[in-house]
Amino acid sequence: MPDNQYEILALTLRYWFVLLVIYTFVRSFLSTWRRLIGSNSLYSESTGNIPFILVLFAISAMILLSLKDDINLLIMVLGVLISAAFLFQYLFISYFFAGIDKYILLMVDTLCIAGFVMLQRLNPDLSFRQVEWFLMGSIVLLFFTIYTRYFKHWDKLNYLLMAVGCGLLLLTLLVGKEIGGAKNWITIGKYNMQPSEFVKIILVFVLSAELKQKKSRVKRLPVFIFTAIVILMVVLQKDLGAAFLYFCLFVFLYYIATSDLLVTGCAGLLASIGAVASYFLFGHVRVRIAAWRNPWADIENKGYQIAQSLIAIASGGWVGLGLGLGSPQVIPASRTDFIFAAICEEMGILVGIALIGLYMLIMLRGISTALEAHEPGDALLAMGAAVSLAIQSFTIIGGVVKFIPLTGVTMPFVSYGGSSMLVSFGLIGIIQGVAQKNHDIRQREAEQQQINDDSGEDYGED
Amino acid sequence: MEKIKRNTIGVLILLVGLYLALIGYFCYAVLFYGDRWFSDSYNTRVKMDARQPRIIPGDILDRNGDKLAWTEKKAVKNPETGRNEDYYTRVYYSKASSVAHVVGFHNSEYGRMGVEAFHIYYLMGYNNSLIEKIYQKAFLAQERGNDVVLTVDRRLQEYISGLVSAHKKKGSVVLLNPKTGEILAMVSYPTFDPNNIKKFEDDTLVNRATQGLFPPGSIFKLVTAASALDNIGDIRQITFNCPGNILIDGQGVRCYQGKAHGELDIKQALTVSCNTFFARLGVEIGWKKLLNTGKGFGFNDDFLFSDIKVTPSSLPINYRVSEQELAWSAIGQGKVLVTPLHMAMLAASIGNDGIMMEPKLVYKVIGRNGNIQKQLQPDVYKTAMSYENANILKEMMEAVVLEGTGKNARSGKVGIAGKTGTAEKGSSGSDSSNLAWFVGFAPADDPTLAIAVLIEDVGQGHTGGSEAAPLARKAIEKAVELGY
Repeated sequence: MPDNQYEILALTLRYWFVLLVIYTFVRSFLSTWRRLIGSNSLYSESTGNIPFILVLFAISAMILLSLKDDINLLIMVLGVLISAAFLFQYLFISYFFAGIDKYILLMVDTLCIAGFVMLQRLNPDLSFRQVEWFLMGSIVLLFFTIYTRYFKHWDKLNYLLMAVGCGLLLLTLLVGKEIGGAKNWITIGKYNMQPSEFVKIILVFVLSAELKQKKSRVKRLPVFIFTAIVILMVVLQKDLGAAFLYFCLFVFLYYIATSDLLVTGCAGLLASIGAVASYFLFGHVRVRIAAWRNPWADIENKGYQIAQSLIAIASGGWVGLGLGLGSPQVIPASRTDFIFAAICEEMGILVGIALIGLYMLIMLRGISTALEAHEPGDALLAMGAAVSLAIQSFTIIGGVVKFIPLTGVTMPFVSYGGSSMLVSFGLIGIIQGVAQKNHDIRQREAEQQQINDDSGEDYGED
Repeated sequence: MEKIKRNTIGVLILLVGLYLALIGYFCYAVLFYGDRWFSDSYNTRVKMDARQPRIIPGDILDRNGDKLAWTEKKAVKNPETGRNEDYYTRVYYSKASSVAHVVGFHNSEYGRMGVEAFHIYYLMGYNNSLIEKIYQKAFLAQERGNDVVLTVDRRLQEYISGLVSAHKKKGSVVLLNPKTGEILAMVSYPTFDPNNIKKFEDDTLVNRATQGLFPPGSIFKLVTAASALDNIGDIRQITFNCPGNILIDGQGVRCYQGKAHGELDIKQALTVSCNTFFARLGVEIGWKKLLNTGKGFGFNDDFLFSDIKVTPSSLPINYRVSEQELAWSAIGQGKVLVTPLHMAMLAASIGNDGIMMEPKLVYKVIGRNGNIQKQLQPDVYKTAMSYENANILKEMMEAVVLEGTGKNARSGKVGIAGKTGTAEKGSSGSDSSNLAWFVGFAPADDPTLAIAVLIEDVGQGHTGGSEAAPLARKAIEKAVELGY
């Protein structure tokens, strides 16, 4: 297709993409709002035509991209494949688990599809592999849903999990590979994986299991030590994003479970001291802070990433330059950490804001699930998963738009990367498992009620 | 369980707050800084391709429609293939070095600068409507950006540039309209030829008028005087005996050449530019009120103007300031730093009854068919002082030119009011090089012109009155002659 025809098409269609994404966001927002103010319970919610809208989004974006340069049928097929994969995942899971939060699943899929489209634009090979990761992620999601729902004795595995977590991180320290400034990768065969991602799930389980029981502070010592060790190890790997995430996870869960302001305050104090110390001890921390305070001062070196990201965002404007019309490839790490800037450039800041909003809604619904839980352990599990996802997406988006200093974490569900995709889906699986449990308990109660009522009536007739 | 729920809700509120702050910051940053990020010279998206440009940038014209910069196609023999190929380059008019810092350049090797960088949004046609963009893509062989008409006058630029270069010293002149904020001329010297950028000497590329930070010296006394008029009710009745040298906080402040001015009031003190008077006055006013007045004149502000990028001026006084530092700040020494453009705005605001207008550089943006897409809209930037106080200060500035240090600016053709300044460049006294300043406006009764002149590195014995004032007079006379 000639260049100018493609450009006209992309220029016009950008409004269409903005519309579809905003529609999904607004629908999800309204539904979440109604649920929060209590006029709508989780089980009477309807997802309406959101699946249809998402299929439309995936297919039309992929068809547009397939028309760039020469008409490429493979990309069109990929569009259909993505739609099929998404529909299969969504329908399959919601058929077998009536009690899960369907909106969370749909919002996650919206993020994934936006990621597929952007990756296809940036590098066609990655997009296809990302779809594979999506399908594997769905299996992980299913696994954790079932695990959280039906496996009652997960706290027995606590010490095993702790050992596995420490072992994984130790292994990374010993044989890890340095990619992009942090030594947090292990190579297995042809795959690179990031153990610090998997430790997130371990941490959620370990913390929930430990904190759900009432104990004195001294008896909680193992979990304190475990948290300290994992944080220290990721700091040694220069993975500051992960360290921040683990720390937030610990502080929030600990505070929620125990209301112990003393320890929470001490942890906060300790972390502040650690942060200040690391500023003076480590060169890479100072570089990050300097680049955050004024990326333009040293735009050729330290500030380059952030400055390029801001330039890309500003070039896109509210509705974007149009898919395929910008040059997001000049942003460093545009497929992983900086994919948000690439999305803002080509699809527009409005889409970017909608994506931030989607993360917020996922968090809101995750925490609502925690609030509906009947046991402390379940509440903490759902809370841990929701907080983990929320903090991670906040950290990376905040870093990309220069709200907070940049730390290299991936953008859940959107960035390219297997470890990130699997773990993020795992966390969603935990939330869904708890939601399903809530649902089943509620149903049992309702049945009980029904039986009681029936017998009560019988009694009355006598 | 109840406790857990309560705490969960607390965390929920915290996290939602974080997210709302993120979204809020994101929108704020994009709205206020977005165009600056976009126009950064590191943005390769808007670079003009020399071989096959997707979009040909529009022309840059001066306010009378004379072309300052345009795009030309040249057939150049490609050494590899041996065939003639079309190359597109930006061409600047023959005396472009006189407007070089305003217009800047757009060069594949050296990047972008000036209007060529900051207004690339218009020049490359990014402001076109969707329909116009589609039309151009569908029916034109090559897309075309829009023409930007600047508020500067080419003739004035050339004349003032000649005056400054005759001095053979680094310097800068800004001439603007106090009522609308239009910049009529903005000169920075040393300058360069944008048609032939080969070598620069250290700071040639710096636009001193907007990017150069200098101590203001005595012209800062205008701010101190404005603050005194605002905050000390009977300031005009108070007199002070200048001994030529006083001690503040153990350190000496002395007048020019140690001359004792004797008994004087504020008007006489400004006229002779008495250091001891204003140093004492600054201490009398106090840091808080002086800082407030300074902020009213735009000090310490980010200067997010829509048309031009200006380095913020700094007035770094706070509760920790010592009396001595405060005294030095009140006479424009110490750590006070300003740009010439800001000083022109300051003079303009006094001339314009205390209202400071936002400086404007874009007169019009003209589209492909000659349709005007954007026209200059004067914007009030700040109300620096009250109408009455502005007029009192105006009278004082007239006296400076009539009988005080600014005598050399007196003109037979037009009534000029102003203030001179001689600042020590280094903070250490041993540095012998001084900065000569003159700021002012004309005609004094109803100003249509405001000016700031800065000449760097004048030798010992030379002052703002002897170096900058005559230059300001000539520039203003030329502008009046041209009908401004």
